Amino acid sequence: MEVTRRQFLKSLGSSCLLYAVSYVPGSGMQKIYSEPWPADKEDIECRFYALDTNYLDCFAFHEDGRVTVLAGRTELGQGFETVLNAIVTQGLDIPSNRLTIVLGNTDVCPDHGPTVGSSATEQVAWGIWEACSQLRKDIIRRAAKTHKLQVKDLIYQGGVVRSKREPERVIKPVETGRGEIVYMTLDPQASSSDRVTLEYKDLGLDNVNAESIVTGTRKYASDLKLPGTLYADWHIPPYHRKLTRIKSVDLADARATSGVNRVERIGSKVVALAERYNDVVKTLTRVKSVWEKPNRPKELRVEEEIRAGAVFQEIKEQTGDVNAGLASSYKTVTETYRTHYTAWAPIETYSALAKMEPGGDEVTIWSGSQYPHRVRELASLSLNLPESAIHFIHSPVGGAFGGKVAPPVSQEAADLSRRVGAPVKVIYSRKNQFQKRGLYKQACVFDFSTGVGTDGRLQARKLDIYQDLGEGTRDTYAAPHILIKHYRTDMPVNQANTRGTSYVQIGFAQESHMDMVAKAIGHDPFEFRRNNVVLESFVPLIDACADMIRYPRSGLGPDEGIGIGLCNHGARQMGVAAAHVKVNRKTGKVHVKEICAAYDIGTIINHRTVTTCLRGGMIWGLGWVLREEVKLDGHSVYTEHLTDYGVPRFSDTPEIKLQFLDNERPGKPRGCGELAVIPTVAAIANAVYHAIGVRFYTTPITPEKVLKALGKT
Amino acid sequence: MAKAWFTLNVNDKKRRVKIEPDEPLLWILRDDLDLTGTKFGCGVGECGSCSVLIDGIARRSCRVQAQNVSSGQKIVTIEGLGTRENLSPLQKAFVEHTAFGCGFCTPGMIITATALLALNPNPTREEIIEAMDNNLCRCGSYPNVIEAIMAFTNGTKP
Ligand code: FES
Ligand code: FES
Repeated sequence: MEVTRRQFLKSLGSSCLLYAVSYVPGSGMQKIYSEPWPADKEDIECRFYALDTNYLDCFAFHEDGRVTVLAGRTELGQGFETVLNAIVTQGLDIPSNRLTIVLGNTDVCPDHGPTVGSSATEQVAWGIWEACSQLRKDIIRRAAKTHKLQVKDLIYQGGVVRSKREPERVIKPVETGRGEIVYMTLDPQASSSDRVTLEYKDLGLDNVNAESIVTGTRKYASDLKLPGTLYADWHIPPYHRKLTRIKSVDLADARATSGVNRVERIGSKVVALAERYNDVVKTLTRVKSVWEKPNRPKELRVEEEIRAGAVFQEIKEQTGDVNAGLASSYKTVTETYRTHYTAWAPIETYSALAKMEPGGDEVTIWSGSQYPHRVRELASLSLNLPESAIHFIHSPVGGAFGGKVAPPVSQEAADLSRRVGAPVKVIYSRKNQFQKRGLYKQACVFDFSTGVGTDGRLQARKLDIYQDLGEGTRDTYAAPHILIKHYRTDMPVNQANTRGTSYVQIGFAQESHMDMVAKAIGHDPFEFRRNNVVLESFVPLIDACADMIRYPRSGLGPDEGIGIGLCNHGARQMGVAAAHVKVNRKTGKVHVKEICAAYDIGTIINHRTVTTCLRGGMIWGLGWVLREEVKLDGHSVYTEHLTDYGVPRFSDTPEIKLQFLDNERPGKPRGCGELAVIPTVAAIANAVYHAIGVRFYTTPITPEKVLKALGKT
Repeated sequence: MAKAWFTLNVNDKKRRVKIEPDEPLLWILRDDLDLTGTKFGCGVGECGSCSVLIDGIARRSCRVQAQNVSSGQKIVTIEGLGTRENLSPLQKAFVEHTAFGCGFCTPGMIITATALLALNPNPTREEIIEAMDNNLCRCGSYPNVIEAIMAFTNGTKP
C-alpha cells in the first residue's frame, strides 16, 4: 500500500504522530500472495503462496493518549482482534480502552494478503510485537532529541516517555512530532540497542468482542442497513454452473409477486430485489427458467473420473530408489483412499451491503472478507472503476473458514446498487450458500505403496496424490526411499479450501494407511509412529496424547477403540490427537467420547483464544470424517439444508483435553487453527478401526457404511 | 396479501407494525424494530440463530408468522436479556468461557439456554446437550457453551 499523508490525515486527523512500519525482506515477515485470478473462471477461491515482502503496519499516537493501529488481515471469529489487542496493549503499555485497532478497511489498512491458513498470528501479530519493541526505543530517542534530554535518563512507561530524574516529567509520543510520518524498517535481528526488550505474558484476556456478541449488538454485514436499502438474492441453475447455460426465462409470475421491487435477468443470472427479504424469497420461488442439460452422464464416478482426467503436476518429493526400496522391504502395503465433497456452511450466509454514489463513480461496500484488498481489486475490474473509487469496509463475519476470501457477493451488491440507484443488501438463501458458487472441498484419491522392515522402520514410501487444489502435507514420516507425485484433475464442480486447508484429506489417508502398515508387521500404532516420525519433537506429543487418553489401557468396552493421528503442518506447527470412540452396532453411529490433543505451536498469545479455536477445529474435523457430505452427481448438487448436510451438533461434542508443549521449542507463535482439524480426522478413523476392525477407505464414515461393513444391511 | 397492523409486545414494549400477515417474526424484529441480534441463518427452522423467547419458550422466529403472535404474548430477544453495561448472568458466563467463535449463533444459543434454565435451573451435561441440540454452531463453540451453562449452574446436579 502506498501510505499517503493525505490518507492518514484524513482518517486520523492532523495532530497525531504516525509510524509506518515495514519489515526487512528475509526477516520472516511474509505476505501471502494469491495467484493471479484466472480469467476463464468466473468464481474460484484463489491459491496462495508466501513471499517475503515489506509491508506497512501503521501506528498513530494521538494527542489524548489514544493509539490507532492499522493492520492487515481480518477478524473472522478466530480471535485475531483479541490477539492483536493483547499484543499492542502490552507492547505499548497502554490500557485497552485507549487502543483502536482497524482491520480490513481498504482505504487505510495495508494489504497483508489474505487471512488464511492460521498465519495471521504468526506473521502479523508477532510482527507488530516486534514493532512495539523498536517503537518504544525510537520514541525515547525522539523525546530525547525534541526535549534536549539524555536517552539514558528516559524510560518508556504507560504509553509515554518519562524522565528517570524528574518523575513528574512526562512526554507524550505525539509531542515528539505532531503531524509527522515516520517510516521505520524493522529488522527482527536488530541489536539490543535498537529495541526495548519486552517479555510477552499471556494475561488470559476476554475476547474483545465478547460483550457485543453476547448482547446481540455486534453488527455483521447482514445486520447493516441504510435508508432505502433493497434486499436481493439470486435464482440459480438446477445444474452445475460450469456445465449449463440459461435457455429461457419467464418472469411474469415473479413480477406479479406483491412487494417485489424488481426481477431482472442479468446475463445468465436472475435477481430479485425487494424492500423485504421475505418478498425476495417469495419472488424467487416464482421464477421459471429453462437451462441446458449438462452434456455428460448424470452418474458421477468420482474415483474413476479423477483418475481419467488426471494431469501430472510435479514430483513433490524424491529420495533414493522407491521401487528398489519396496522390493527389498520385509512387508509392503498397497492401498487407495478416497475422500468426499464438503462445504464451508457458515451460519451466516454470504451477505454484503453496497451503496453506489449517485453518478455511479464511487461505491462503498460492507461485507466480511478474508482478503479485503482482493475484493476491492475484483470489484474494480467488474465495475470498471478505479480501485480508489471502491471503499471496502470489512464487517464482522458469521464464519468464513476459507469461503469468504473474496466471494462475489460484494461485487454483486455493488453492481446491483448501481443498477437500481439505491443501497442494496444481498443475502444468500441457505440453498444458494450451498450451491450458487459450486465450490467444495475436493474429493481426492491417494494411492499408497509403503514398505517396512522387520525392525518396524519404514523403508520406502510411494504416494500418488490426485488433488485439484493444494498439495498434500509436509512429510511426517521418514524413509530412505520416497517418491511422491502430485496430479491435478478437473471435475464438474470447482475446488476450494476449507478450515484445515487441503491437508485434511491427506491427513486422513496417510494416517489411516500408517495404521495399516503398523498392523502388517504387528506393531502398536502409537509405537510405530514414535519409531518413524521425521521429527523427534513429535515423540513428546505422542507421549502426551497416550498419557491423556490412557493408552494402552485394558478395560475398553465392547466396540470401543482408541486411535491416533499426526500432523506436520509446515514444519513449524505440529499436532497429535488421540480419539476414543464407541461404535453402535445397531445404528452404525460412531460416537466420539473423547479427543486428547497435544500441540507444539510456540508462544501462546492468548490461551483462551487458542483453546476455543482448537476445540472448534476438532469438532470441524469430527464433522468432516463422520457426518458432513455435499450430495452431488454429474449434473447437480442436491444439498440445500444444514441438517441434511450434517453440520456437527451439541450431541456430537466429545470431551476434549489439550496440552501445549510450547516449552519444547519456544519462540514466536506459530498459529494453530488448521492443526486442530487434521490429526482429529485421522485419530477418529483409526479409533473406529481399533473398535470394530474395519478400515474405511472412503469418507465420511457414515452409519450406513458402518452397518454395511458389519454385514447388517 | 394485504398489509395489516399488528401489535407486538417485544422486550416489554408495545410495538405496532404494518406488515403482511405471513411476514416471519424474524424480519419484523430485524427490519421494523431494529433488533438485529436475532439472526438469519437458514430461514427454515434448522439452525436456531433466530431464536427468541415467546412467553418464556424458545421459538424460531423465522418460523413464526406475524399473524400467529398475539399482542398478549411476551416476546424477548437477545437485546432484552441484558445490555453491555448490565449483562445477564448467563451472558456473563458466555463471556467468561469464550462460548463463541464468530458469535453469529450466540444470541440464539443464549436465548435457548435461558429458556432451558428457566425450566430446569440445574441441568446435567446431558440435559444441556439435549435442550441445545438443534442450535447449530459452525465454529464449534459447543464445548465452551456447555461449560458456560454448567458454570452458571455450578454444575451442582449429580
Ligand atoms: S434462521 Fe430460523 S432456525 Fe435458522
Ligand atoms: S460462533 Fe460462529 S457459528 Fe457459532
